[in-house]
Amino acid sequence: MARQERLGYVFTLPVALVLFFFTLGPGLYALYLSFFSWSLLNHMRFVGGVNYASLLTDPLFWIAVRNTAVFSLVVVPTQTVVALIIAVILHQNLPARRFFRLAFFFPAVSSSAVISVIFMWIYNKFGLMNSFLGLFHITGPDWLGNPSFALPAIMMLNIWTTSGYFMVIFLAGLQSIPPQLHEAAQVDGASPWKTFTRITIPLLRPTTFFIVVMGLIGTLQMFDQSFIMSQGTGGPLYATTTVVLLIYQFIFAYGKVGYGAAATVLLFLLILGATLATNRWLGKSIEY
Amino acid sequence: MIITGRWSRRLMRGVYLLILTVGALVMFIPFAWSLSTTFKPLGEAMAYPPIWIPRPWDFANIVRVWRIVPLAHWFINSLIVGFAVMIGNVFLDSLAGYALARMRFRGRNAIFMGIVAMLMIPFQSVMLPVYILLRDLGLIDTYAGMILPVVVSAFGVFLMRQAFLNIPQELEDAAVMDGHGRFSIYWRIALPLVQPSLLTLALLQFLSSWNNFLLPLLVANRSHLWTLPLGIVMFQQEYFVNWPYLMAASVLATVPVALFFLLFQKWFVPTVATTGLR
Repeated sequence: MARQERLGYVFTLPVALVLFFFTLGPGLYALYLSFFSWSLLNHMRFVGGVNYASLLTDPLFWIAVRNTAVFSLVVVPTQTVVALIIAVILHQNLPARRFFRLAFFFPAVSSSAVISVIFMWIYNKFGLMNSFLGLFHITGPDWLGNPSFALPAIMMLNIWTTSGYFMVIFLAGLQSIPPQLHEAAQVDGASPWKTFTRITIPLLRPTTFFIVVMGLIGTLQMFDQSFIMSQGTGGPLYATTTVVLLIYQFIFAYGKVGYGAAATVLLFLLILGATLATNRWLGKSIEY
Repeated sequence: MIITGRWSRRLMRGVYLLILTVGALVMFIPFAWSLSTTFKPLGEAMAYPPIWIPRPWDFANIVRVWRIVPLAHWFINSLIVGFAVMIGNVFLDSLAGYALARMRFRGRNAIFMGIVAMLMIPFQSVMLPVYILLRDLGLIDTYAGMILPVVVSAFGVFLMRQAFLNIPQELEDAAVMDGHGRFSIYWRIALPLVQPSLLTLALLQFLSSWNNFLLPLLVANRSHLWTLPLGIVMFQQEYFVNWPYLMAASVLATVPVALFFLLFQKWFVPTVATTGLR
């Protein structure tokens, strides 16, 4: 028995070590670094809470927080609703279900970098998006060059990429609902819409909870698309600067490590807060 | 009454199929457009209204891009990193998952909860300290730097533990009677029984490494270490107006993923659905 005990630790040790060094450790290290002034090249200097104080009064930080929050608040509900609608339709007995499921899922497995490059071409002033709008006599903007349209363009791209992924998860959730419940509702004369809102939606709550949390974590730390589509600038006019992109710039453009570390800690608190709020809202267990 | 019921059901099916078809088109058009652009000269690519079928088909872009960009080299880098990440995860996550599911030791639940809690700290959010750590360890501009931070995953451990929990206890008891050691039970008896989960884990880890952009961006400063996504983005910043070139590179990067996806789709969709693993 003692031998088995020891082996248990040996088996879990590699995972624990790597996670400690590259996930938990860095989290704690960020907290430590956030109290120092450091440019990676000079000597570290303890500055107490100065980084937090100046970060919280830095307009650029608030622009990044606002962009990130707006991005999350638009993308998460939209992708969740789109994913649910497609999943409910695919759950019906329709032809070519497998084909449709694959078609909707494929963008989620493609590289975000390659997709961003493809969408830069589509969002070009003379690109496909604007030719499409031209069919309705709408003159489209220079999507990525216009501060009012750059972030919405990235939102659309993100919804396009992730909806299919969450659709597949909803589909699994739908399949786990006992069909008798729907049959009973039909026998009682409930309309399809009533069945959907009174039975399907409440029973999907654990799946919805998972999808919303995953969506929040994914959108609050959005980096790739903003970085690629703005060539690393977060522009035009900071319109696509997210918190993670700003952290990247704090290290590599401004050489302000402590500042970036403070932003890291605040971002973590933001993600934690959003997750806990979702848990209060959707995390209750189901009562049949 | 019965007839109207049947007709309304038919109508609904028609509406559903219409929605799905439009949706599938929306998913498909960006890829189709990049493919179409690949085979057109720049002037035709910029034409308004857009020309969907190139006339004539111009293969020069794809040949030229293949010559000026070391796509094959980036491809091999992506393969090296992807395979290392995949093998690390398959072996180490399953080892830990096995111990957490089937072995008894003090603090087992605490260790499991600790590992699951790591799901709350996504990589992007700790990019800065990880970069400093990799720099201090001398791992910038090395393959190891792109592999080590993602060589295990909390998700993988969680997935494998769930899989191992379903193995009947009798099988293990029998193996113990036969004088197998713990490692041998894990390797010879338990692992083959969780093959589907193991394959899912392997696919997803390979794919997430293949698509990873931020970690190579932090680690690989020198172009000979660039992976495919990083290389494509760097290429884009250099040739940002030559869209046919860029689309040719995008197509060359997407085709292997598409083939891989179609080949293994049977394993992908259902397992992603049940685990929610990304």
